[in-house]
Amino acid sequence: MVLAVEAENLKIGYEDEEVVWAVKGVSFKVMVGEIFCLVGESGCGKSTTGNAIVGILPPYSVTDGVLRILGKTVIEGNKRDYTGVRGRIVSYVPQNPGSSLNPYLTVEEQFHYVMNSVYEWGRKKVVEEATRYLRMVELDPDKVMDYYPHELSGGMQQRTAIALALSTGAKIIVADEPTSALDAHLRLGLIRLLTRLRDTVNLTLIFITHDLLSAGKICDKIAIMYSGRILELGPSGKILTEPLHPYTEMLVDSVPILGIMKPLKTYGGEPLTPGVEVKGCLFLDRCPKKFDKCAENHPAPKEVHERIVECWRYV
Amino acid sequence: MANIRNNKPSISGAVKNVQKAFQTKTGFVAITVRAWKRSSRFKIGFVISSLIIMVGVLAPLLAPYPRDGLGYVPEDALQKIRLSPSRDHIFGTDTRGRDIFSRVVFGVRSALIQIFLVVSSSLLIGLFMGVIAAYYKGFIETLINYLIELFMSIPAIVIALALRLILGSGLLTVVLALIITWWSWYGRVTYIYSRSIVEMDYVLLAKLSGVSGLKIIYRHVIRNASPPVLVQAVTDLGSVLLEASAINFLGLGLPPDSPEWGVIMQEGIQYLSISPWISVFPGIFILVTALGFSLIGDSLREEVDPKLRRRWRLWF
Amino acid sequence: MPVSLNYIVKRLFWSILVLVGVIIFSYLVIILSPGDPAVKWAGNPRGVNATFAIEAARRELGLDKPLYMQVFDFVAKVLTGDLGISIAYKQPVFTILYSNLAATLELLLCSYIIVLPIGIVLGVYSALHRDELIDDVLQSFGTIMANTPAFWLAAIVFLLLVSAGSPVYGRIDTRLALETGFQSITGFYLLDSILQGNIVIFIDVLVKLIPPALIIGVYPLGLSIRLSRTLMAESLTEDFVRAAVAWGVKRGRIIWKYAFRASIPPLVQVFGLAFAYSLIDAMVVEYAVFGREGLGRLLVDALNYSDFKLAIGLLIVVTAFYLVINTVADVIQALIDPRVRL
Repeated sequence: MVLAVEAENLKIGYEDEEVVWAVKGVSFKVMVGEIFCLVGESGCGKSTTGNAIVGILPPYSVTDGVLRILGKTVIEGNKRDYTGVRGRIVSYVPQNPGSSLNPYLTVEEQFHYVMNSVYEWGRKKVVEEATRYLRMVELDPDKVMDYYPHELSGGMQQRTAIALALSTGAKIIVADEPTSALDAHLRLGLIRLLTRLRDTVNLTLIFITHDLLSAGKICDKIAIMYSGRILELGPSGKILTEPLHPYTEMLVDSVPILGIMKPLKTYGGEPLTPGVEVKGCLFLDRCPKKFDKCAENHPAPKEVHERIVECWRYV
Repeated sequence: MANIRNNKPSISGAVKNVQKAFQTKTGFVAITVRAWKRSSRFKIGFVISSLIIMVGVLAPLLAPYPRDGLGYVPEDALQKIRLSPSRDHIFGTDTRGRDIFSRVVFGVRSALIQIFLVVSSSLLIGLFMGVIAAYYKGFIETLINYLIELFMSIPAIVIALALRLILGSGLLTVVLALIITWWSWYGRVTYIYSRSIVEMDYVLLAKLSGVSGLKIIYRHVIRNASPPVLVQAVTDLGSVLLEASAINFLGLGLPPDSPEWGVIMQEGIQYLSISPWISVFPGIFILVTALGFSLIGDSLREEVDPKLRRRWRLWF
Repeated sequence: MPVSLNYIVKRLFWSILVLVGVIIFSYLVIILSPGDPAVKWAGNPRGVNATFAIEAARRELGLDKPLYMQVFDFVAKVLTGDLGISIAYKQPVFTILYSNLAATLELLLCSYIIVLPIGIVLGVYSALHRDELIDDVLQSFGTIMANTPAFWLAAIVFLLLVSAGSPVYGRIDTRLALETGFQSITGFYLLDSILQGNIVIFIDVLVKLIPPALIIGVYPLGLSIRLSRTLMAESLTEDFVRAAVAWGVKRGRIIWKYAFRASIPPLVQVFGLAFAYSLIDAMVVEYAVFGREGLGRLLVDALNYSDFKLAIGLLIVVTAFYLVINTVADVIQALIDPRVRL
């Protein structure tokens, strides 16, 4: 099987006065045709990781480790090279669709600039293809193509952004909270569309969300991120039914799962502020199962039952 | 109903306010301190402006011919007309035999007086009008907005011409002409800002409990809107200098013989090809002074608006 | 069309209202300021005919009528183009203003047409190389240019040109014009000389035009280098630029169709203001240093002859110009920014 995305101890930080590390070393492998989820609370570094795969890390970022996309090394140490990757190989469904569309161009013009840049198609072909993609996301092209983004509703903007993302023809899509602006039935429609695309054209999807429930529905593999590291990584069914890491347990306990009767528990505390140096396990102050070893160092990843966990309880 | 009006100013209160200005991240003083540490432009501008101000303050001591500086013609004038720069007269002498260096040095005072008068008065008037317009709404609001638009549209120089024909030459003419134009800018900014505050509920509550809503708005506007407005005012010091000098250059402001850079330049323009030093040197001072304030204003503005702070390069 | 006719009409109406306000303001300045308004209006005459002139001025101003009538009459007169007879020129003020406006406008337009594209391109280049040396150099130049007094620079340039022997005084060589039969049709000599096929005059006018045009252009050049750099640098950090990069849009397009496109509306607005400001610069420089006819000359003559009518006429015309430019800039801005739907 070919690896769509491969990360080896990938670190990403932002340089202000000094470097603040948002992603503190993550490793994972995504197979072609797989739906891979990055789950975590806000600020855990999942969006940053997604940005790294897409190739839109800001110029003041600092990286370390390795990131490969379809075999091509895009990040090595502090060097980043995305030539030929953006658009063609990896595409992006943005978190905030309203601000991700060019307010000065009509939707048709935006499709033109994207598709013409990637494929050099002329106007007519662009309109044909754009219509096809818009229909795929359940939008009526006549109500969208000649309009400016601010004239569309939030849900329409989101779907237009998704159509634009798909229209690049990229086989790897990174979707950052793609369902947040959608109503429930549209959410289902989108998930169905993405799974269909995976089945038909072997699309690889990297799904970033804070909603464990949606992740469980659609994903093959889930990576639970916290404070810049992946605390648990494994097949989604297993993670939801038999969570290993205490953090995963907390997340699962706070979410209702249809078919399983269980009490819902909330968990307190705040995620760590990035930039704060922590001794010991990153999850230390919120962990209900900590013991003395946890205060010394952050645990290294360990393979347990076809999953990878970072917790001293499994070493 | 308890009267919570507290009219007595207190020293401890004032001290606390100053302390707060230092501590808050957005206070004007804090911004200035940060700019000093971070920006070389600020340092350059600050040094230039401080030097200029010092020259102005020490003018009688720095000028080798202080009486020339004030505009008086020396006794041995006739032999000294339009001498080129020499050791005795670093910038040469003007059309009536006065030492230009001394006149330029005294010109610093003229420049500083004009710009500080104009900017501070415009600021106060603009602040007042803006708050009144937002508070009282209705007819007064429309009227003041109309006046703001009106006076923003008239260039100061034509007002200066009209005033010159009525009031004659003098400091009042140039300063008044500039104030009439500039207040409207501050008025507009203050109005827009006060408008949003007036909507807030606590103003209504304050009114109900007896404290003057107007006072609350003043305090709020001054505290929150003042950093960006003050930053603008600093930059405006430079712009006003350029405008005021132009007005004086055309003879629409201060009378001839005044120690003012624009005036000196006007006197020298007829003899430009023969004695260029008369017009050239004062102009350099105009440029440098305006530049000094402009640099300070620019670096302060960078501090207030941090969007472009981080390092950047063409990454795609 | 995103902008409705309604908006344009409303804006126009508001501007006319402001103009009327300016006219009323001018009238009040005449009436309410210290001194006898009739004397001022007559231009502080001295000598034998003084009383006669003052009486004529009194009648012109209609000082015997009630105030509101005076104001109304005055506004009506101004709006129909009657600003009285200039004391300095002994011709209708309106005619003088019109021909001189063309002269100053020609200068301004040439200046901006040359300078703006250069400044904008340099600013964009500066933004693309943000924080590099070239950026610092360009921005420093821009700041210095924006703070240079135009009349000082004019003096220096004029001095250099005269020492080098080039004849840049005045707007046109009148003798040459007479010899070659040049006629002024539109008031814009460059245009007129082309229309008449008069190459000699065209070159003459052009040569005399370039130095002051470049000097007046220094301020807008500095402004555009700085402004377009700032706006461009901001647009480049916008979300839709990052999204477009993620979707593979080519670099050239991102720079011009995405980032620069976002900078255009504020650029238009600021240049509108700058254009009106440059009119003042032009007025100061053109006559006092270069001896060209134009509004600047009227300014000086009004002063020297105590020509109050000319001064008021100048005030109204310059303000009207200002209002027109700003209204046009606002309308253009609304037209090109699809988010502005009025």
